[in-house]
Amino acid sequence: MDQEFMAKVKMEVVDKSTAPARSVIAMQLKDVAVSFHGRTAVRDCTFDIAKNRVTSLIGPSGSGKTTLLRALNRLHDLTPGAKVAGQILLDGVDIYRGDLTVTELRTRVGMVFQRPNPFPTMSIYDNAISGLRFNGVKKKSILDEAAESSLRSAALWDSVESRLKVAASNLSGGEQQRLCIARALAMDPEVILMDEPTSALDPIATLRIEELMTSLKQRVTVVIVTHNMQQAARISDDCAFLLMGEDRAGELIEFDTTEKIFNNPIDPRTLDYTLGRFG
Amino acid sequence: MSDLVDLQSPHEIGHEMRDEIRRISDHLRRRRQVRSTIMVALCGVALAVTAVPLLLLLFELFHRGLPVVLHTGFYTQLPQTPSLVAPNVTGGVSNAIIGSIVLSAYAAVMAIPVGVLAGVYLAESDSKLATMLRIIAQTMAGAPSILMGLFAFSFVVRALHIGFSAIAGSFALAVLMLPVIVISSEIAVRGVPNTLREAGLALGAKPHKVSMRIVLPAAVTGIVTGIILAVSRAIGETAPVLLVIGGGYINSWKPLNPVSALPLSIYENAKSQWPSLRTQVWGIALVLVVFVFILSLSARIWASRKQRAR
Ligand SMILES: Nc1ncnc2c1ncn2[C@@H]1O[C@H](COP(=O)(O)OP(=O)(O)OP(=O)(O)O)[C@@H](O)[C@H]1O
Ligand SMILES: [Mg+2]
Repeated sequence: MDQEFMAKVKMEVVDKSTAPARSVIAMQLKDVAVSFHGRTAVRDCTFDIAKNRVTSLIGPSGSGKTTLLRALNRLHDLTPGAKVAGQILLDGVDIYRGDLTVTELRTRVGMVFQRPNPFPTMSIYDNAISGLRFNGVKKKSILDEAAESSLRSAALWDSVESRLKVAASNLSGGEQQRLCIARALAMDPEVILMDEPTSALDPIATLRIEELMTSLKQRVTVVIVTHNMQQAARISDDCAFLLMGEDRAGELIEFDTTEKIFNNPIDPRTLDYTLGRFG
Repeated sequence: MSDLVDLQSPHEIGHEMRDEIRRISDHLRRRRQVRSTIMVALCGVALAVTAVPLLLLLFELFHRGLPVVLHTGFYTQLPQTPSLVAPNVTGGVSNAIIGSIVLSAYAAVMAIPVGVLAGVYLAESDSKLATMLRIIAQTMAGAPSILMGLFAFSFVVRALHIGFSAIAGSFALAVLMLPVIVISSEIAVRGVPNTLREAGLALGAKPHKVSMRIVLPAAVTGIVTGIILAVSRAIGETAPVLLVIGGGYINSWKPLNPVSALPLSIYENAKSQWPSLRTQVWGIALVLVVFVFILSLSARIWASRKQRAR
């Protein structure tokens, strides 16, 4: 092993001693597998997502990160031919078979997508509180408060306070993505899923979103898919590494704290990947 | 394989080879230029062939129509039949103008909600029923318009005993508009990116809320354009209303009264024995064209405003 390289990577993993211990579990995955039309896209996923920590999903293109993430708030439900096997528990309740409606699940487990996708016909304000409106909240005082607090949490309030009624599409890409985060936060979710949320953004906007995620840890559990090893090392506390098996189906290779995954992984393939040797 | 490598590294090609390549490329360029000149000329001819008849038509329309439409009586008076003592008395076409507005308004009220909802359904569902509806809509869009007239005649005028009336005419026009609205709404809704639907679902919105509150507003420009297209088509149609509206000689907004319509008066005046009535035809046609023009212009302006607001 080239010691120098190892040392460099080691430094990249930011000190995570402030994160709460892995004592409380937000979501549990038990032998989760997702298939499309009988073809397995990802399988063998068993790990716990700890509360108030950031969990990253890493792995090469096609290893099933997006597929796995979308299973966590049942976004595959409307995809013809998609099937989710195994168990996914939220607070101990099976999200596919327990008595938790899809709607309720999705209000508790929010999602931020790869490309910023604010609703183009709505204003900034309407975007921020759209989830509440969809779920029947009508009282103006509640909506106003939710708009302000979610936009503040997404570090967007100061720049949009004076133009809340303006169409959301007038914002820059980074601002739009923060609006999407605000939109998810307004539902006060327990978990937020993010699929490469910064891949369409410039380095500065990326940094702001990363800072945001770190500060959000106080109130939510974050699961993030990323291709950026530095990003995974910087912001995540735990890390799942996925890789394609021989039949091109993704599978979980290793799950551990980010520190272990980057510095001291059990599987040699994990090390190869985090060092950028393939994928 | 080795040829390819040679070509990719020019410094290894000999002078002779390079000259040869230049010669060929000059030759090709000249051929390209000749070809492009011919193509441009052909396009010009095609443009002329399209534009000349259209311009002639417009010229004729304004040349003959303007003198007719410059009298206020043309818009405010009911038609009068000329007689041997007063062969040039024609009156106006107020009943036809009102009739056309009434017919298309009632037709729009009937066809828009049904057509838009059906379009949304076709776009958002892939059930057997949706496939069937789509085939029906496409067939209806190509059906001859007199068929809608016959249908309205046997169904509304006869079977429902409503008689010759505005409502029977607008029913026929609504059936005519329906497939256009359905198909254009479906296309507009399909054009809405899936990421928006997912964003809504991920916020816990029920599928019907996603359709109504996210997808429909995002597709509204395309939908409205389709509606205007449908109305413009319907307002100029003679065949479907010919059999059912009764050609009323009164100004009436009531759905159960017989009414007239602009295309119908063109049809009737054109076959009249009185030259004065036949002259009026161009004025009526001009009014109709202006109607349709205003409709499509306002749709365009509205759509571009909407687009810019995004
Ligand atoms: N809706 C779908 N229908 C069929 N196959 C799908 C569908 N979605 C994903 N797949 C397949 O599942 C596999 C994993 O895809 P996925 O998008 O989860 O990979 P990923 O790890 O997110 O890749 P990337 O890093 O490029 O985003 C791929 O082989 C893909 O073709
Ligand atoms: Mg992906």
